[in-house]
Order: sequence, then C-alpha cells, then structure tokens
Amino acid sequence: MDTVTSDRPPLPPIAGDSTPETGLTPALSPPQPAKRTVARRFRELTIERRILAGFSLVFIGILIIGAVSYRNTTILIENSRLDTKSHDLLQLLNTVDVAMDEAENNHRRYLVTGEVVYLKSFRSLTEQKPTYLKYLKDLTAGLPQQESRVDTLQKLIEQQINAETGAIAKRDGGGFEAVRRIALEGAAKRELAAIHRIIAEMETDEHQSLRRRLSESTLSTTNTIVLLALGAILQLVLLASVYYLIRHDITARRKVAAELQLRGELLEAANKELEAFSYSVSHDLRAPLRHIDGYASLLSKAVGDSLNDKAKRYLQTISDSAKQMGQLIDDLLVFSRMGRQEMLHTTVNLDQLIKTILYDLRLDLQGREISWTIDTLPEVPGDPAMLRQVFVNLLSNALKFTSTRPIAKIAVGVETKSAGEIIVFVRDNGVGFDMQYLGKLFGVFQRLHRADEFEGTGIGLANVRRIVHRHGGRVWAEGIPDQGATFFVALPTRRPRT
Amino acid sequence: MTAAKPILLAEDNPRDAELALAAMEEEHISDKVVLCHDGAEVLDYLYCRGQFKSRLKGNPAVVFLDLKMPKVNGLEVLRTIKSDISLRPIPVVMLTSSREEKDLAESYALGANAYVVKPVEFHQFLTAVRELGTFWGVINEPPPEGSPSTN
Repeated sequence: MDTVTSDRPPLPPIAGDSTPETGLTPALSPPQPAKRTVARRFRELTIERRILAGFSLVFIGILIIGAVSYRNTTILIENSRLDTKSHDLLQLLNTVDVAMDEAENNHRRYLVTGEVVYLKSFRSLTEQKPTYLKYLKDLTAGLPQQESRVDTLQKLIEQQINAETGAIAKRDGGGFEAVRRIALEGAAKRELAAIHRIIAEMETDEHQSLRRRLSESTLSTTNTIVLLALGAILQLVLLASVYYLIRHDITARRKVAAELQLRGELLEAANKELEAFSYSVSHDLRAPLRHIDGYASLLSKAVGDSLNDKAKRYLQTISDSAKQMGQLIDDLLVFSRMGRQEMLHTTVNLDQLIKTILYDLRLDLQGREISWTIDTLPEVPGDPAMLRQVFVNLLSNALKFTSTRPIAKIAVGVETKSAGEIIVFVRDNGVGFDMQYLGKLFGVFQRLHRADEFEGTGIGLANVRRIVHRHGGRVWAEGIPDQGATFFVALPTRRPRT
Repeated sequence: MTAAKPILLAEDNPRDAELALAAMEEEHISDKVVLCHDGAEVLDYLYCRGQFKSRLKGNPAVVFLDLKMPKVNGLEVLRTIKSDISLRPIPVVMLTSSREEKDLAESYALGANAYVVKPVEFHQFLTAVRELGTFWGVINEPPPEGSPSTN
C-alpha cells in the first residue's frame, strides 16, 4: 500500500553499460525458452562465472592430460621392466641350452676317453642346475605357459642328468665296453632334443612378447605426444579466451568508472548550482516581499485614517500575501536544505522525541480538547533534528485537521515491528482525505484543502517523505473523508547507506 | 555620551534603506544614520577618504552591514574592519536577508558582534531595526575614541 514514488527519477543507463557482461545476475534477465544453446547460456553468465568456467576447463584439461600421461608412462615403465625380464630370460635360456649341450657332448667324450677333464661340464651343470631353475622360475613367474614349460624343462634336465650320471657310473664300473653303445648315441639324446625344442618355444614366445610390447609402447608414446600437443593448443586457446574476457571486462569497468566519475562531477556541479540558487532565493526573493509589506504598512500609516474599509482591506491583503509568500520561501528553503543537509547518524528515542514536540506545541493545544493515545515508542537509528521535523509535521497536521472536531482524537503508535523496520503511525479523527488523491499527498506544494479551510504551504508532507527516504524508510497514508487519516512512517532498524 | 556618534548603515537597496530609516525615524535616531550604498563606501567612510574625506574624525557607534552588496560585500567589509586595529572595536551588526548557516558561521568567525535576519513582515522588521538602533546607537556605550583594542 506504499504509494510513495521516488523523489528522483531512476538514473538513465550509463553508456556502455548495456552490454550483458556487466549485467548483475542472470536471474534478472527474463525467462528464456527451454531451447538454449550452451553458447547462449554462457553469454548470460556473469563475468566472474565465465572466467571461473574458463579456468575450470583449463584445470580439467590439465587433469585429463596429467592422468593420461601418467597412465601411458606407467605402461612404458612396466613394458620396459618386462622387456628387461624377457632379455634376461632369453639370455638364461641360451646359457642353459649351451650348458645342456656341453654336458651331453663332454660326457660322451668322457665315456669314450675316460679323461676326467671331460666331466667338468657335466659337474658344472649338476652344480648350476638349481640356480638355473630358480632363475627360470623367477623370470617366468606370472606367465602360466612359460611356467609349465619350465616345469617340463626341469624334468627333462633331471632326466638328462640322471641318464648321464647312470652312464658315467657304468663307465666307471665296466670301462668303455660297458658304455660303447651309449657313448655312440649319447645317454640323453632324446631329452636333449626335447630340451632344445622347449627352449626354442620359450624363446619364440618371449620374442613375440617383446614385439607386442614394443608396438604397445610406440602407440602409447605417440598417443601421449598427440594428447600433449592438442592439450597445449586447447589450453592456449582457453587461456587466451579467459584473458580476452578479463581484459574486456576491465575495459568495460574502466569506462563505467570514468562515466561515473563524470556523473559525480556533474552532480556536484549541479548541487553547487542548486546551493547558489537557494542562497539567491533566500537572499534576493525576500527583499521585494519585505518592501511590499513595508510600503503597504507605511502607506497604511500615512493615509490609513482617510481610507475606507475596502481600501484598508486591500492594503491588508497586500501585506498578508507578502507574508504568505515569505512563509512559502522559508518552507521551500527548509525543504531544499533537508535534501542537501549532511545527516547525523545516531539513535533517536522516539518516545522522548514525541514528548518534546508536544511540549513545544503546547501553545497550539490551548483551548483544544484532545484525547491522546500514545504508545511506548522504540528507538530508531537516524538524525534527531530531521526525525523531529517529521513528527512535528505529522502532529501539526493532526492538530490542524482535527481543529473542526469538538473532541480531537490523536493516536501515535507502533503498527507492527516487521523484520528490519519499525512502522510508526499518527492517526487522527480529522477531516481525512479521499484516497484518490493519495498520490498528491506527499508532493511539494500539494494541498488537498482550500487555503481558507486550513492554512499551510503544502510542504510539510513533502518534507516528511524526503526525510524518511533519506533514512532509507517509506511513508504512506490511509484516509477516509470526514473520518480521519493515518500516516505511516516505516524506518529501517539498521543504518541506511546514506 | 554617544549622541554625537553616527550609526553607519550599509544598504545597497534604497527601499530597504528607506524602510530602515522609516523605522529609526520613529525613535528619532534617523538623523544619526549615515547611509552607505555599498561596501566600498563603508570603507571610504571608515578611512575618511573619497566623498568622506572631510568628515569629522571618529568611528561610528555601530555599523549595520548588509551581506550582499555591490563592489565590496559585507563579509569583506567585516574582515577589513576586524583586522584593522583601529577599527576593530566598532560593533558590527550583520543585517541581512540570509538565514544560511554558512553566512552565520562565517560572520561570527570573522568577529561580527551580532547577526540579525531581516524579517519579511514589516512590523517585525520595524521592531528589529528600532531596537537595534536604540540599543547600539543609544544604550550601548561604544569603545572610547583612540583606544584601540589591546588584542
């Protein structure tokens, strides 16, 4: 029910401010149809959100590149470890292969010649066998196929060694003749052939693994390089966009700041002009009025006795009009001062304020029958002198417009204490007003009553509104013709910005 | 005895001057009034130069000073008076239309002895001027001649 309109029209948009980048929040824009492209959505975001989005994308990109690079590098390291293992295995297989060959060949030589020196290879193999097997098992751990081959290999080696051991024992017991046939063929010819075959299989297998891993590593490396290159380009593009956004925003802000400063200077100049104007009004406009009243009085004194009643009334009217205009000027100056005057920010005890005002108005109360209802009023933040003006005006009005009532009823109270503001009202049973003129009620020099009904310049409520607005509050009124009026003043409980 | 000492009225507006004189007429002190039409004339009078070259020596009983005057304005005259050791004792009453706080503060800061806002209503104006004239021109004892202020 707040009908109060602002004293000042809203500032026209500042040039360059219309770009959506500087818009406050996306919520301010009207609802859009559901089909919205990502780009459009992005354009509706605030600059901070857009920059944040840009940086987030860069960050996500870095994370992805990091993760993929890590994975690829891990693969490369693992492959290289496996390659080392494969090479070790291949070398070991070769050693074993040679050792088996030598053992068999030299053992045959021993069978033929009986030279102990030929047993060296066989003994060496017998000694090395557990070591070979251990390494073979180690190097094939985790490869089931190779493991089972190692098991077979182990059996074959043992069989070969056993066969050879048996042959050597026979040679030692029965001489060359006992082993003639064996010496020609070899004790473990079949086993050795099987061993060669198995070792060849294992070698083939390892070579295949090596080739597979090589191609895998090559692919992985290529992928990483491509990813890094693409990522770097993408990051560059993103960072460039973010840089563009920030720079664009800074430029826009600078422009707005410059505009604001210009406006501030213009306002200051306008304010100075206004001050000069009201000073001039105060000084120069009063003088002719003083003269009108002065000369009218002098005239009345000079020829007053010879004037008839009509002429005397004319002279009186001249004086009265001059005085009235003087009052108007004074009121206007007060109104103008109320808008410019620096505000004090203290706490005002409304209870105390109303009491003081009623004491000061006591002369106006003489000869009046008034029924007062005054609630306990709270304290509010504000300027004491200005708020005093508000309640002087409201109470004076209440007194003025109930002057035709045999018993005036005036109430001052707190309507509700809603969050963040205190609403104080002044209610009277006076002549009231028609709600259709509500819009004019708080205007400067607006009067709803004829001058001969109630005196006044029509500035009081305009002052009330201006002061309350400067306190960050609201004013409104309710009235019924011939029944009374209620004026509401809502004041914020916290100090306003200005 | 103050009878010989004139009242200096600085008023650029002839109507205001006439009304002021009319007010003083009633108290029969209008013949003591010397009228200056701007600030320069006031200074000429005080320093006995120009058209006042041959006037009787001595400071006026009081200076009624309008703020807004041509050539030299009231505040400038006030500053000159209060910064001259021989003129400083002269009581200066600002008689002006301005109710502006700025003017009030500045006047008192410069050493004005009183500040009176000319009422629009003639009867009030009459009373004010009459009382001012009577008080400063008749009742108040001005500083003795040739005894400059010690401060």
